[in-house]
Amino acid sequence: MTFMKRFHVTVAAAAALSALALASSAGVDQARAEFPDKNLTLIVPYGAGGGTDIGARLLAKDLDPLIKQPVIVQNITGGGGWTGWGTLATAKPDGYTLGLLNAPSFYMGYLDPKLGRKERLESFTPLINHVIDYVVVTVVPGSPYKSVKDLVEAAKAKPGSISITAHGVGGDEHLAIMQLERMTGAKFKVVHNKATPESKSQVLGNHVQVLACNLSEIVTEVKDNQLRVLGVMSPAKSRFLPTSPTFKEQGYDIEASVSRGIAGPAGLPKDVEAKLVAWLDKVVTSKEHQDKADSLFLELRSIKGDAYRKFLKDNEQTVKDLMGW
Amino acid sequence: MDTLLSVVVNAFTPVHLGMVLAGVVIGLIIGSMPGLSSNLGIALMLPLTFGMDPVSALILLVSLYTAAIYGGSFSAILLHTPGTSASAATAIDGFALTRKGEFNKAIRISTFASVFGGLLSAIALLAIAPPLSLLSLKFGPAEYFWLAVFGISVIGTLASGNMIKGLVSGAVGVAISTVGLDLDSGYPRFAFGFYDLQGGIGFVPAVIGLFSLSQALLMCEKPHNTIQEADPTGGGKWRLLPTWAEFKFIHPTLWRSSIIGIVIGILPGAGGDIGSWTAYNEAKRFAKNDPDFGKGSIRGVAASESANNATTGGAIIPLLTLGIPGSPSAAILLGALVLHGMQPGRTLFTEHAHFTYTVCVGFLIANLVMGFVGMAMCRYMGVVARLPNTILIIAVIVLSIVGSYSLGNNIYDVYTMMAFGILGYLMRKSGFSAAPMVLGMILGPLAEQGFRQAVQLADGPVLLHMVANPISWVLVALIVLSIGSAAYLEFSRSKLTDVMAER
Repeated sequence: MTFMKRFHVTVAAAAALSALALASSAGVDQARAEFPDKNLTLIVPYGAGGGTDIGARLLAKDLDPLIKQPVIVQNITGGGGWTGWGTLATAKPDGYTLGLLNAPSFYMGYLDPKLGRKERLESFTPLINHVIDYVVVTVVPGSPYKSVKDLVEAAKAKPGSISITAHGVGGDEHLAIMQLERMTGAKFKVVHNKATPESKSQVLGNHVQVLACNLSEIVTEVKDNQLRVLGVMSPAKSRFLPTSPTFKEQGYDIEASVSRGIAGPAGLPKDVEAKLVAWLDKVVTSKEHQDKADSLFLELRSIKGDAYRKFLKDNEQTVKDLMGW
Repeated sequence: MDTLLSVVVNAFTPVHLGMVLAGVVIGLIIGSMPGLSSNLGIALMLPLTFGMDPVSALILLVSLYTAAIYGGSFSAILLHTPGTSASAATAIDGFALTRKGEFNKAIRISTFASVFGGLLSAIALLAIAPPLSLLSLKFGPAEYFWLAVFGISVIGTLASGNMIKGLVSGAVGVAISTVGLDLDSGYPRFAFGFYDLQGGIGFVPAVIGLFSLSQALLMCEKPHNTIQEADPTGGGKWRLLPTWAEFKFIHPTLWRSSIIGIVIGILPGAGGDIGSWTAYNEAKRFAKNDPDFGKGSIRGVAASESANNATTGGAIIPLLTLGIPGSPSAAILLGALVLHGMQPGRTLFTEHAHFTYTVCVGFLIANLVMGFVGMAMCRYMGVVARLPNTILIIAVIVLSIVGSYSLGNNIYDVYTMMAFGILGYLMRKSGFSAAPMVLGMILGPLAEQGFRQAVQLADGPVLLHMVANPISWVLVALIVLSIGSAAYLEFSRSKLTDVMAER
């Protein structure tokens, strides 16, 4: 017993001494350890190789030299993304664990009472929005519909007869279609697929009439004249498709998109938060990063701190209204 | 002709050959580790290619893709532990051969078949990609439904001997596949309030459990035995190529399975898993005169392995021509293509034809190189089959846990793997086969989604919509044939046993 006690004392003393030694050596240039003094983890709630993952890895690669620490991308998959988001929400709020937040995908987990997650938007510290990808509605060139109006009129004349793709209840395309239905009184036949490639082949093969998906996914097909744009659900024309009209220009004031940003767990220290936002903003707005995003037809949109929080909160309200949750 | 020559010269430059070799070696290592899939390999290598020129980058990634699919067969044959889920079907006959002491025979057939399937798909890719890619557009929801039903219709015959047990196993597999959030309604099905179940039951951890962990548990029964139960007979020695007799025995299977693989590869959403199982089923159907099938026939190995490698070239076809990836791995390749400034579609075959064909030739070379590298790696691997089980049990359990965790850094996948390991062990002890269950898990969702979408899209009578397309007619005819022949066989077999009993 006495031996153990003495042992403990010795260990404690040694620890205190080495801590002192460390502190004094570090104290030469600063009072306390500068954030970050070790590697950062960036949680991607989806599998390696998907859109979120590729975007996150591009970001991590450019963030790396700026903070002079490695940024490690960790794919934590499952539960429709919520295994990753759950891990992020419960991580230690020290700034070393960050993650990708996908809106509107992540609202469903806690807004839908059937799923009943306990986390909320308030469980996270939103730092910055990275990418915004608007919903676009396209058809094959031979389709009789030339504009959003044609499509809406036809859908009103024969409710539920026009088939349109989406990717899961509560997903961005589904929400966009619901907005259009609510605004015009039209009714569509929504065909859900797991991913856009399946939807694309269904529309190109004339099994489904209208393709609703994200803009970055069809730029090539539109330039190749395999698909024709009826409307983009963006506030202004996309620079990737400068001749394609928006919904707004055609008199339908709808904005719908999927957005991805970076967040930490709730309760990040203010100074750490400020530093992270500044670094991330520098990456997102850099020319080099922009060029890489351009090759993927992704629009970068830096929305920082409180503005990003508000952006997410507004989106949350839209989802609540549309889905009745 | 000039382009062709310059493409070939370009593909054979030292840099590009180096990329082929690097891709093949990394692919073989990743593929042979259970849980580390071709998807993961490509995704992890992708950021490393940012600094390369597009041709080198794509050659590296496609070489990795095909080699990983082939590499999955090593551990499947040696330890009944499929390295990728695309090699699960290989484990059945391949492992049976290893137990007979014929590991070297199984591995050379697997290698030959993989190279054969890969090369055939590479040739299809080079020669007739644009017309073939249209096939992926002809398949609508109704056709997918019939395709899945056709696959399910073989379940009864897949369970060696016992049709009822096969059907039960298959039905449980389909039921398991329904767990999770329903895409159409947003309802969590059979989740019982568990968050993890809302995302469904992971296919890969389930396969690792059913095949690998169950094998470790079986080996626990006889800790001092070795996998190899008999001394090698004819097939024991290492040889680079199959013997003439072996080749003659498997070559119809190779052609059939490779064509199945290419077609399945072209279809979006269906990759190496579905390809290898479908080809295995078909080989089984044609193997009436092969009593060893399912118990260590080289045809079983040849069918599964030629088909899963044939899906690789197949999956790249619609990727290049339409931007529609034919498999999950091809979806990551699409990201790589775009990141390197190459837009899929017509321009790849006109403006960027030099790039495209160089990559395709690189892919073709990779399929040859992987055969040689693989055979060299396997030269002394057969020793493992003579190690005592005690050592292997630990290795297999460690690999199973690490493999299922590394899928998504999610401990739930490890629990899934363990649950399926115990289930698989109990099934094997009581004469149920895991193969129909895996097939049910793969084809169930395909059938469900196809059916629901077809019903939704039908204008007028649903049945008419389901058979509106000639492809549907062919598939329906095949289903009728499949069930009819199985019933006839069962009928004549029971008559035969009646006659035997009378004597």
